[in-house]
Amino acid sequence: MAQLRIMSSRGDKTVTWDAEKIDLGDPEAVAAVREAERIFNEERARGATAFKVEPGKPAERLDNFDKTVEQTVIVPRIAGG
Amino acid sequence: MIVPPDLVLVLIKVLLATAAIVLLWRVLVRPVPYWGHERPGDLPTDLQEAERRADSLLKDILNEEEFQQLTRQGYLEVRSPSLPQRVYRVPRHQGVVKVYEKDRLIMYLCVQPVKFLPSGDVVAMHKLSIEGNEDQYLKLANRWYSSPNALGAGMGVWGGRRRDPPA
Repeated sequence: MAQLRIMSSRGDKTVTWDAEKIDLGDPEAVAAVREAERIFNEERARGATAFKVEPGKPAERLDNFDKTVEQTVIVPRIAGG
Repeated sequence: MIVPPDLVLVLIKVLLATAAIVLLWRVLVRPVPYWGHERPGDLPTDLQEAERRADSLLKDILNEEEFQQLTRQGYLEVRSPSLPQRVYRVPRHQGVVKVYEKDRLIMYLCVQPVKFLPSGDVVAMHKLSIEGNEDQYLKLANRWYSSPNALGAGMGVWGGRRRDPPA
């Protein structure tokens, strides 16, 4: 299962999808991945940054949505304090 | 000097009215727990639940060793992806990030999300941003250098906004 986690004031919001079911055309999985992509683009347009997170590896910035990434975390816009 | 009783009464009424306004303000307007610029509407109604969720995300992002360090020592060390000798020390709770090079404190950084995030998410934000977007993170950070010779001659003790040492 792949997931998109969006940080927010209430803790993270998560959208989950099954990449294998997408390949089989499962409507629920396809809808979930479309929703994840929409959120990804919307948050990026607001100045947020997305990262690919894998256990044991440093995070990588993602400029484009990738449905095959197991865990994507979206961090809201940051600024100097 | 004799003060007319009417004036005393008026003064008492003004004082009572001021106290009532201050009291109402404190009761009706929620205090802002983290940052002065935060709008009350951005804050979660259940802060404990938000913190619990954020801690769960943080546990997923950190390995066991990192999580133990954060719990026991109160900070998380994040290695710079570009400079092997550099380590960023991220506090568990709000505060500045300390930058060490060869175990020597060279710089303080202040970076924060533009909207409220629970403290666990703030730690995760620093870790992900340093590892995956270090250039931008440093570009946005306000920096304070730790000593006149922290990064070589001519730096000076200095606190301020995004000023780099002279080349």
